[in-house]
This record gives sequence, structure tokens and C-alpha cells, in this order.
Amino acid sequence: MMSESSKKPMMPNKVIEVMVDSIFRKNGVKPEEVKDNLSEKQREMLKEMVADLKEQVEEFQQKRNESKSE
Amino acid sequence: MSVYRSKAEGTNRFHEDLYGDDCACDSQESGYETNNYQSAPAYYENGFNSNFFGDTSVVQEGDEFSYMEQESAEVIWVKESCNITVTSTDTQIGASLQAALQLAIAIVIRLSIGDSADGEEVEQELMQTIISSQVNKQKIFIYNTKDAKVTTTDTDIAINIQLLLQLLVALVIMIDIL
Repeated sequence: MMSESSKKPMMPNKVIEVMVDSIFRKNGVKPEEVKDNLSEKQREMLKEMVADLKEQVEEFQQKRNESKSE
Repeated sequence: MSVYRSKAEGTNRFHEDLYGDDCACDSQESGYETNNYQSAPAYYENGFNSNFFGDTSVVQEGDEFSYMEQESAEVIWVKESCNITVTSTDTQIGASLQAALQLAIAIVIRLSIGDSADGEEVEQELMQTIISSQVNKQKIFIYNTKDAKVTTTDTDIAINIQLLLQLLVALVIMIDIL
């Protein structure tokens, strides 16, 4: 959370959110229904996956910033 | 163009004419010059029309549902030099991280929307809006140089990674996993 405020994303999250929503809508995907497709275990796995990737991306950006400022 | 065609069979002869007259008379020089410059492009254009533009229209015919194509390559050659410092931001890590994010997005979609037929289409559409196909190649040649410092960065990949992560997080929030 802390790092999110320190680095400004070049694309506002809201834009992405609206885009995803519009694509879902266009293809007739309803988030409420989609939720039920996932088991609790899958949910947990995906959650971990996203958290892990997030961490890796942050690490990558940080390294980049470090080498830039050198 | 039709005027030019009569002369087009021998471009060499045309030039000979030009230079021949140049020596003889200065006042005519400008006249020939403009003639030369105007008609030459017309001739080439004609050539391109049949080859170039004809082919392009065929190539562009492909379907738009192409998967993303990304490449990131870096070549740095140092030859006959000394004291060269090369700092290369880890393109490889970036590329694999990007692939991982793409895969993660695909997994999330496949698991959640997968059984409905639209899954694949949604996936493609999401990816396509974010990134278009891109190839990033860097080639650096250092030759006969002393005491140089070279730093390379791949900005595109950093932006892509940022966007893909945002997309993944948005997706996951929307289907209520996070």
C-alpha cells in the first residue's frame, strides 16, 4: 500500500477498472455470476499469485529507479 | 508521366543528355534540372505502386485476433576498445515478468469465465487494449573507443509491466478475489 502512493501509475486505476468493466459488459460477463465459478481453494491460489506478482513488479520498479538515479 | 515515359527506356541516356547540355550552355541547365527532379519521382512512384502497395494490402488482410507479440533483445558489441562500462538494465527479468503477468491474467480469466465461450475473447480484448504488438531491439556497437560508459534501459517493458499489473489487480478485484 505504501509503495502505491509513492509511485504514481501512468495509467489511473479507474481507467483500467472502467475498461475491464466495459469489456465484461460487452461480452456478457457478469462479475456476480463469475464469482461462483471459483472454489475457495482456487480463490486462495489466485490471491497468492497476484500478491506474489505484485511484489515482483515492485521489486523490479525499485531496481529500475535505483539504477536510474545512479 | 507520359512525357517521361518516352525517355524512360534509357535513364542513362537521359543523364547523358543532361550533362552534355550542361557543358554547352549554362542557361539551359536549370530547365533540365527541374525536368529531371520532377520526373524522377514519378518514375519511382510508378514502380512502387505495382510492387509495394500491392503487397501491403495483402499482408494487412490478417485477422485482428492475433496474440501479443513481444520481443526484447539486446546486443552490445565492443570491439577494439578498452575501459568500456556497460550497464544494462535487466531486460531479461522484465521480459519474463511481463510474460508471467500475461499468464496470470490469462489464468484468472480462464478460471473464472473459462467455461463460457467468451473467455478467450475477453482475454484477447483486455490484452489488446493494453498493449499492442511491439518489438524492442537494441543494438549497440562500440568500436575503437576508450573510456566510455553505456547505459541501456527498456522503458517499454517497464510500462507494460506496470499496466499489466494494474489490469490484473483490477480484474481480480472485480471478480472479488482480493
